[in-house]
Amino acid sequence: MDKRFGMQLLDNDWAGPALISLAAILVISALQPSFLTPFNILVLLSAIAVNMVIALGQLVIVGVGQMNLALGSLGGLVGVCFVGAIEVLGVPTPLAVLMGLSIGVLAGMANGYVIARTGISAFIITLASLQIFKGINLGITKAQPFYGVPDVVKQFGNTAVIGPIPWLIAPMLIAALGLWYLFRRLRIGRYILSMGGNRQAAELSGIDTVGTVIWAHAISGLLAAAAGMMLVARLQIGQPTIGDDWLISSFAAPVIGGAALSGGHVSVAGTFFGVVIIAIITQALVLFSIDPFVVQIVLGSLILWAVGINRFREWRFAKMATAGA
Amino acid sequence: MGSLLEIRHVSKSFPGVKALDDVAMTLATSCVHALLGENGAGKSTLIKIITGLQHPDSGEVLLDGSPVRFNSPREAAARGIAVVHQERNLVPRFSVGENIMLDRLGAGSLSRIDFVAIHDEAAHWLRLLDLDIDPKTPVSRLSVAQMQLVEIGKALSLKSRALLLDEPTASLTPAESDALFGIIRKLRADGVAILFVSHKLEEVFQICDTVTVLRDGHNVCDSVPLAGLGRQDVVTMMIGRAERISSRAPRPKPATTPYLELRGFSSALGHREIDLAVRPGEIVGLYGLVGAGRSELAKSVLGLYRQTGGEIKIANTSVHIRSVADALHHHGIGYVSEDRKGEGLILMHSVLDNAGITVWRRLAGRLGLLRGRTVARAVGPVIERLEVKTPSLQQTIGNLSGGNQQKVSVAKWIAAGVKLLIVDEPSVGIDIKTKAYLHDLIHELATGGTAVILITSDMPEMIDVADRIVVMDGYRIKGEVENDRNYDRVSQAIMAHIHARKAA
Repeated sequence: MDKRFGMQLLDNDWAGPALISLAAILVISALQPSFLTPFNILVLLSAIAVNMVIALGQLVIVGVGQMNLALGSLGGLVGVCFVGAIEVLGVPTPLAVLMGLSIGVLAGMANGYVIARTGISAFIITLASLQIFKGINLGITKAQPFYGVPDVVKQFGNTAVIGPIPWLIAPMLIAALGLWYLFRRLRIGRYILSMGGNRQAAELSGIDTVGTVIWAHAISGLLAAAAGMMLVARLQIGQPTIGDDWLISSFAAPVIGGAALSGGHVSVAGTFFGVVIIAIITQALVLFSIDPFVVQIVLGSLILWAVGINRFREWRFAKMATAGA
Repeated sequence: MGSLLEIRHVSKSFPGVKALDDVAMTLATSCVHALLGENGAGKSTLIKIITGLQHPDSGEVLLDGSPVRFNSPREAAARGIAVVHQERNLVPRFSVGENIMLDRLGAGSLSRIDFVAIHDEAAHWLRLLDLDIDPKTPVSRLSVAQMQLVEIGKALSLKSRALLLDEPTASLTPAESDALFGIIRKLRADGVAILFVSHKLEEVFQICDTVTVLRDGHNVCDSVPLAGLGRQDVVTMMIGRAERISSRAPRPKPATTPYLELRGFSSALGHREIDLAVRPGEIVGLYGLVGAGRSELAKSVLGLYRQTGGEIKIANTSVHIRSVADALHHHGIGYVSEDRKGEGLILMHSVLDNAGITVWRRLAGRLGLLRGRTVARAVGPVIERLEVKTPSLQQTIGNLSGGNQQKVSVAKWIAAGVKLLIVDEPSVGIDIKTKAYLHDLIHELATGGTAVILITSDMPEMIDVADRIVVMDGYRIKGEVENDRNYDRVSQAIMAHIHARKAA
């Protein structure tokens, strides 16, 4: 391979993860033909759809240069509120969806407001709100699942639109395209990235940094809520434990996809392939009956590798910036 | 030429130091105004007050004759006052045009950005600056000079009537500076009031019409025409007369073998052919204007930046210093940073921890155990000797005054028993009494056999403390002046070395 071509590929956030995804699919399907059966693809795509929305919820916050530890806890809270409202209060399903999304947005705004107003790091604030959301969740459910998931929701989470494409792909596509457009074309998206890229410059340019942070967390809350309800649809049950295991993969996918954890640089397409890679690794576990610990080690190594690549890229970027053109 | 922005009787105090004392300045339209002063004279505080980052304790800022009080740079910008800071304030991954128009990307948060219009508008401002850059270029691809000009373009696009330029030429080549001056003249012709902060006097004389000089927070002159002033007049105003060159007891002659010797030293930062020797018991001053590369030389010797040539000798043995830990533990070199709060101290830690940090490694037991009492025994006497005013060793150091903080940052090196102490701008932001005390302390250390390198931009301090003064400019050594404490002779000799380059 020509060296310059290699470098160009390296500069492209999604090309590397896309190649790895492709290679993994080829290797696994060669070893285990059942990997590419329509049913398995349906299962894989359903997992990807939910995890992508989770990862996008973290991506927005990474873009602004912060972290959201409360993402899973909020998703879980919205999940049980959603089913609880239908089962206990008899709220019609569409209204319950709307209510779930509103809870996500409001909780996210609260996070953002406290972070922006106090200047305390997002890590600490979302660590605190993680506990608060989880506490409310357990208070509502008494740690028991809600079983009253309506059939329409169950079907949405477990049937295909066409062929092996699940309905769950629809909300994922809306979220991914919406966020992609937001980061490219909408004022708020550029403000989020400008704050992540050079906070001081953004502030001195007269950007409303408080409002921008609140916006970012509101979007993150919206996506957490959507993912929580998508997971309810997929599991067909209002589990109080939904969201407990989102944290690692919500950071891993954006980082594998080339996002700078310092902020200011994100890739929606890269994140997608990050999600795909994680989903394939997890599937391989089931297909080859591998011990779960191996998957964790592989996932950890993958994160290290991705961080290394990003570090190298940032170093080259900084060198270019100081050397000029 | 009317008055646009007026500063009247402005005073501002920080704990332990009066940064501005009854300062006045008037910026007029169609006029380039120089704001001069040595480090710590109060220039940056004055700029911060104009742009609303800080508020004066007393006095007022008048815009178009009426008092204003900005709460943020945004408010100042809205009234036509824009600042181009020394640090780059651009978003590197964004395009030039987007950076220029960053605060005007759209009406609402969810507005779609019209990049064509943004880049068109930006192109207009770039043309005005004769800048041949495609507004779609990412800022990270620009040279430092281009970034500087983009920031000026951004300031102008706010329809600024007053433009404050803080050391705009610090990172520019002479040719780039000349281009910038052409633009400044054009802006002046268009009626903009420009404040020009620079340490390069030849530039000031080339471009400025009026001048305000600050020294120790006071006006030495307030908005006087530059015509009729000579460069020597301005230098005298900036550095002041030797008010207090104290008589000091003669110290024993320093030893003949240098403790530290640099031969043909060069660094990755651009130092070339540096020859420097410091003997035990000797105080060598490093004088130079800001940007001469003095602190950078100290840090290169400490191993923070890579040595690219020449040799470093410690007590006649050629050595290679790999890191600051290496410099301290193997070669006995300590460095009191000019940036006390950023680099010298851990503000949220106690006095004990700050003073003891250099000796932990020595005091730690075999298992790496460190006992507070052991450290207190080592550090306590030094803290006491330096008369650090603190209620206890457990006091958080951020709560002490600047002068006492500075004493602790010297104390930690004394506790470590360094053989060479590099002191960088020791008296920035501290009161006169502590300053005199620190000077005595440096002398005392030297008398005790410590080799000292003193870096300061404060000429009276230099002449008061140093034994001989090495003059630096442009990352090279320009010459050396034996200090006989005759202020006029020594200061003129130093200035002659600095300006030798321009004559040549």
